[in-house]
Amino acid sequence: MTWEAIGWYVIGAFGLFIFLSITVMFLTWIERKFLARIQQRMGPMRVGPHGTLQPIADVIKLITKEDILPSWTDKPIYWLAPLAIFIPAIAIWVTIPFSETLVLQNLDLGLLYIAAISVLSVLGLVMAGWGSANKYSMLGGLRAVGQLISYEIPFIMAILGVAILSQSLSLIDIVNDQSAIANIIVQPLGFLIFLAAGLAELGRTPFDIHHAESEVVGGPFVEYSGAHWAIIQLAEYVNTFAIAALIAILFLGGWSWPSMPFTGITNDFLSLVWFLIKIYAVILLIFWIRGTFPRLRIDQLMSFGWKVLVPVSFINIVFTAIIRFYNLHWSILTVISLISIGIIFYLIYKTPQKSRKKDSIRIISAKDAVNNPPKNYGDINVR
Amino acid sequence: MKISENINESGSTVDMLINMGPQHPSTHGVFRLVLQLDGELIVDAEPHIGYLHRGSEKLCETESYSQVVTLFDRLDYVANLNSELAYCMAVEKLLELQIPDRAWYIRTILCELNRISSHMLFYGVYGLDVGAMTPVLYGFRERERIQSLFEQVTGARMMHNYIRIGGVKEDTPPEFNGNLHTVVLELEKAIEECDELLTQNEAFLARTKNISCLTIEDAIDFGVTGPILRSTGLVEDVRISEPYGIYDRFDFGIPIGSTGDCWDRYYIRMQEMRESLSIIKQAIKQMEPGEVQAKMRRIVRPPKGECFVRTESPRGDLGVFLVSDGSQNPYRVKVRAPSFANLQAIKHMLEGVYVADAVVILGSLDIVLGEVDR
Amino acid sequence: MLGSIKGLKVTLSTMMRKPVTAQYPIANKRLDIKKRFMGFPALLWDDSNSEPYCTGCMVCVRECPTQCMTATMADNKKFSEGKSTRKKIIDSFGINLSRCIVCGICVDVCNFDAIEMSHEHELSKFQRNANRANLKSLLAMGKTFQSKIKWEPIQIKNIGNPDLRERLQAAAKAQSEKINANEGKMDGKPEGSSL
Repeated sequence: MTWEAIGWYVIGAFGLFIFLSITVMFLTWIERKFLARIQQRMGPMRVGPHGTLQPIADVIKLITKEDILPSWTDKPIYWLAPLAIFIPAIAIWVTIPFSETLVLQNLDLGLLYIAAISVLSVLGLVMAGWGSANKYSMLGGLRAVGQLISYEIPFIMAILGVAILSQSLSLIDIVNDQSAIANIIVQPLGFLIFLAAGLAELGRTPFDIHHAESEVVGGPFVEYSGAHWAIIQLAEYVNTFAIAALIAILFLGGWSWPSMPFTGITNDFLSLVWFLIKIYAVILLIFWIRGTFPRLRIDQLMSFGWKVLVPVSFINIVFTAIIRFYNLHWSILTVISLISIGIIFYLIYKTPQKSRKKDSIRIISAKDAVNNPPKNYGDINVR
Repeated sequence: MKISENINESGSTVDMLINMGPQHPSTHGVFRLVLQLDGELIVDAEPHIGYLHRGSEKLCETESYSQVVTLFDRLDYVANLNSELAYCMAVEKLLELQIPDRAWYIRTILCELNRISSHMLFYGVYGLDVGAMTPVLYGFRERERIQSLFEQVTGARMMHNYIRIGGVKEDTPPEFNGNLHTVVLELEKAIEECDELLTQNEAFLARTKNISCLTIEDAIDFGVTGPILRSTGLVEDVRISEPYGIYDRFDFGIPIGSTGDCWDRYYIRMQEMRESLSIIKQAIKQMEPGEVQAKMRRIVRPPKGECFVRTESPRGDLGVFLVSDGSQNPYRVKVRAPSFANLQAIKHMLEGVYVADAVVILGSLDIVLGEVDR
Repeated sequence: MLGSIKGLKVTLSTMMRKPVTAQYPIANKRLDIKKRFMGFPALLWDDSNSEPYCTGCMVCVRECPTQCMTATMADNKKFSEGKSTRKKIIDSFGINLSRCIVCGICVDVCNFDAIEMSHEHELSKFQRNANRANLKSLLAMGKTFQSKIKWEPIQIKNIGNPDLRERLQAAAKAQSEKINANEGKMDGKPEGSSL
């Protein structure tokens, strides 16, 4: 490797870091504004027009804030945990392409690399949970590990389904393979599995179990403040952006679908814009889900992962492989996928009510209750 | 964290003791729960109260009868008018006062509105407890409508001091009727919307159905009242079993559950809001102009004696026991606070559930610490 | 799954509506205060006679549930000159606003229409004791409040200017006699009542 190449890598990595930091600042603003509109609020309005400078004010505040170190902490672990969360979050971006040429290093085993690296950030969560010497952090860190296995298998399975379709693990090849038809149309089931597993990976509602504010008060990050908290937060948003980008690449056709009637520089620029629009659409979907859904319990997430996502992702892979092997038309896979989605939704719809009828509440008119007191008045054995 | 903390002398792990509260986001005030955890499972729970004790009952003995109303405002600070009503009814019972009809209609309308606003707060924070962040803002949006209506009538948004001994402070302003009408229409729509957002959501159902089922026997043993008692399937509502005021003039329903789980408790409150709206609508139709204050002496001095009144506050059976020795100040005021009685059941309910459920169960009790600690 | 999709629909449709929140301290964006709103108590100013209504009778001080008020009275010089109907006048008045619970009892018990719940409700001050209001600041609060809602005395007997009070009392007396006369007529022969 020449010095020139190394220089380009350094410049590229630096540029990527700057780009991601600015994106994260924008994401925090857009999340606040979007959630505010969902809740009929205004969101940040004071700093700059419509609060656009709010993220900068936040950054200044977080950097200048005192970094508190609780006295019982396991200091090396406590200080290293934010880095252990942050480094994998940035490392994923090495191989995520923005266009055919705009990528730091395209890897032939890119998907494998991403699946391997994304798991690492859980290590940081456990370190933070243990190092903080706080029982809530501890619970949160252990929850993060507990839920890891249940979503990681469907996550990888959904990726495999895409890899089988396009016969490659390189992200650029996968995007180029979708120039005719995007994977979301071929594999709607795979898309939903990846979305659910991705949400669990990000720890976003309805799977924000490890930092549930109302239960473990922020989980592993309870004790962090100032710049370290800022780094953790940065990593979370970088991860969100990464998952959204992966969804756009794996299922929405990246920059190549639907193909544009332009050539040259215009085409490059417009496809980049088109790709970013897709990413932000996915991010808004994630925020929308966050604004609507309650949180699941840890055991419910596990049973959802093992009993629903894992079997379904196997179905997805098997059918994809069959269709690929016999070179059948892709629409057959779409139909199979849609049918399985219908079955799953029906099962989920039925499950919570299975134990009881839906209308368990009956309304007794006050006049009736006075005239004929209900029978169960007499039946009660008061101990 | 030290490993040695979690291992005993014989080398096996010990249960973790965790302090939930008094500064925890979902203990609804300054309530403290000491949980003994085996992993995520709760082995034992020990509730501690008293962080908001202000000695209200003792303070009542040093204030004159009309000043005590302000203290009752601060007991249940989510449904202030309902607590005011309970106290004023107790004094009126001692005085054997005849309250004008219009005063009763104003009281009933405002109390039912306050019940809706209290349940709306419950809806919001319950959503927050199960992890949804939008319901709380919808709940507060609706509460705001009611509170601005209160501001028009009583002059205050929370601590009204509006229901007085012998009636209410003053008649409603002329614009009240029109505003009340629009608020009722808006609330009808809003309740449907809130219902759609949360009630049938699969994640919400999974979190609340069949959690901490309470039997009728247990509920009665613990002295639980209000929506929690009704969720077990028992028909018990002071408004129908011992109708006070003018509640016998309205035709309204009492929602009754069947299993007594968290979802039943939640949905009973949603239905109660609808029933309260129907009471308000009937009251608007029946209301006629007239006096709002009974003729009485300015200095309240009830005869020697004691009395107990029960009312149905949004949280349950709110009773006031009042002893008068014939002087200007009450001799003893005892409040039978529904939140306090409902909280007794928490230890029983928390046995063997997950930590995440503890929050949901505590939320479903809908306690107000101001009333628990007094 | 149907319930969740309905929920998503609700949040999406809410997003299309206008926000309901207000921008609190900005003057024209904050919510309006209702006419009956009870802020901190303020002392009212009798414009007809250029003196406060308050006579320092201490009823409000005694009836206050939190004992947040103090007052002292003085002889009114104007009364001896025959320019006022008030024998006594307030000399000093203090309210600890951070102790006040804005219950409105002081207004109810006042016999002289001298105290009223103003629309002042903001408590934040830069000095520790700055929210102890004295007579001067209470009267200033009262003046703002009076001009804002165009306050008028409720009872004629409380008007300080002797001439004005006599005039108004005479007018009121005539008015009530007229009404009484009419009522008498109505009692006698209801068909002849033209009012």
